Amino acid sequence: MAQAETLSHSGICVHDLKEAQEFYCGVLGAELKGAVNFFTEDTLNGRSVHQSYALGDYLFAVALAPDFMPMPPVDQLRGAMGVRHAFTVAKARFDHTIESLTGSGVPFEGPVDHPENGPFGQSIYFKDPSGNFLEILWRRDEDVGTAPIPDLETG
Amino acid sequence: MPDAGATRTPDLGIVGLSHIVIEASDPDRSAAFYSDVLGFETAPGPAWPQCGTAVTLAAGRGQNLILAAASKLPDLHETGVHQAFGLSHGAREKAALRLKAQGVEIETYGEDPPDETTGGFYFFDPDGNRIQLVALPDTEDDAPPTLHHTAVQVADILWAEQFYTEILGLVPVHRVGWNTADYARAQAWADGKEDMAPGTRRLDKRYSSMVNARVMPRVNPQVYFACGDQRLGVFLANSHFQESPEDACRGTPRIAFRVDPPSLERAQGRLTEASWRFEGPVVHEPGAPVSDSIYIRDPGGNFIELATAGGAHS
Repeated sequence: MAQAETLSHSGICVHDLKEAQEFYCGVLGAELKGAVNFFTEDTLNGRSVHQSYALGDYLFAVALAPDFMPMPPVDQLRGAMGVRHAFTVAKARFDHTIESLTGSGVPFEGPVDHPENGPFGQSIYFKDPSGNFLEILWRRDEDVGTAPIPDLETG
Repeated sequence: MPDAGATRTPDLGIVGLSHIVIEASDPDRSAAFYSDVLGFETAPGPAWPQCGTAVTLAAGRGQNLILAAASKLPDLHETGVHQAFGLSHGAREKAALRLKAQGVEIETYGEDPPDETTGGFYFFDPDGNRIQLVALPDTEDDAPPTLHHTAVQVADILWAEQFYTEILGLVPVHRVGWNTADYARAQAWADGKEDMAPGTRRLDKRYSSMVNARVMPRVNPQVYFACGDQRLGVFLANSHFQESPEDACRGTPRIAFRVDPPSLERAQGRLTEASWRFEGPVVHEPGAPVSDSIYIRDPGGNFIELATAGGAHS
C-alpha cells in the first residue's frame, strides 16, 4: 500500500476571502465549514487567516495570501497557477453546471472532449476571482463508483 | 460598498442613531468637559430612562449623548471602541484650541474606512473614552455636534455580522481584514509608514502566514454598517475583555438606534423568531425623550436599544 492513501484536503490562496466565499458558495455551491482568525481567541493564538469549505465530499481551505500573487492573463482560462483543482459532476448535471457558470457571468473554456478510451468525458476550465485555475468534468466511469485509475498513456 | 451578491435581510427600518450612552466616573465633570471642548449643552427634561445617574447632552439632529455614572470603567485605550461626532471645520479648530488649553493630547492617526484614512482627530475624554471629531462641510460653526458614527468590539465578528445583518437588517458598507490589500496596509503600519488607530492593527510574533510561514502584522477585522447616513463599526477585540452578563439586556454603555413604531414591532417579531433575548417594549413616561424602547444584547455583549422618537405618549 502506498504511504499516502487519498487526498484529504487542499489549500487555495486568494486575495479576498469575501469574494472567494461568494464565488465558491454562490457559484459553485460549496458550504462554508469554518473560519479562522475572525475570533479573538484565534488571533491571540496566532492562527492563520483562512476559511474552510466543503464541495461535495471535498474539503479545501481558502487561505488569504499575505502578498499579492501573480495573476494569469485575464483571457487565459485554462492552465495552472502552480496547481489546478478539478471537480467532478455527474454527466447528467454537466449542462446545468455550464448554465450556472454562464448565469453567474463566469467565463470558461470548453466543453473540451477527452479521448474516448480515457476516464474523463468532458471538461470546462475557468478561474476563481483570484486567478486560481479550476476545472469541472464528468467521468465516463461514473456508474462504477470508485474506479481504479487506469493505466494512462505516457509520452 | 455593500458586498456584491450577498443575500440581504429586508431593512428593518433603522433610520440612524438616536442616542449613545457612554460611561463616566463623574458625569457632571464630564459634562463640563464636553461643554467646554465641543459646545454640548445639557438637554432639558427628565432623566434619561435606563441610565441610572446620568447627564444628558443635546447633540444635533435631535440626537443625544448620555454620560452615565459608572464606578468601574474598562480601559479602552488600545481597543477600537470610540465615538465620532460630526461638526464644522471651524468648530473642530476651536475644539483643538480648547483641548490644548486643557492639556489634552490630540492624535491624528487614520482609520480604515476610505473617508477616514486622513484628517484624523482623536482624543480621550477624562474617563478614557476615545472621541473622534469628523469635520463636515456645509455645517454651521455654532451647530451642536452630531452623532456621526460609533464603534464597539466583539470576540466573534462573524456572529456579530450575522446579528446585525440578519436581525437588525443593517448593511455592511466597509470591511477590513478579508483581503490581501488590507494585509499590505498592515505591513505598511508595521514598517512605520502608516499611523493607524489603536485596535485596528496587531503585531503578534506567534502569528505567521499559512502561505509562507512568515511572521507578519495583521489587521484586526472590522465591519462597518450603514444606519441612515451614520455608521456602526464593529471591531474584533484584540484581547479578551469582560463582557456584560449573558442574561442582561439593558445597561451601559449603550447604542440606541432610531426606529419608527412599525419598525419596533417588526424588530420584536424578528428577535422572537430568532429566539434572541430582548426586553420591552418599555413605554417611557410622557415627556421622556424617547417613547418606546426595546433592549438587546449583541453577540459581543454590547447593549443595543431600538427607540422611537419622544412625544408619542405625551
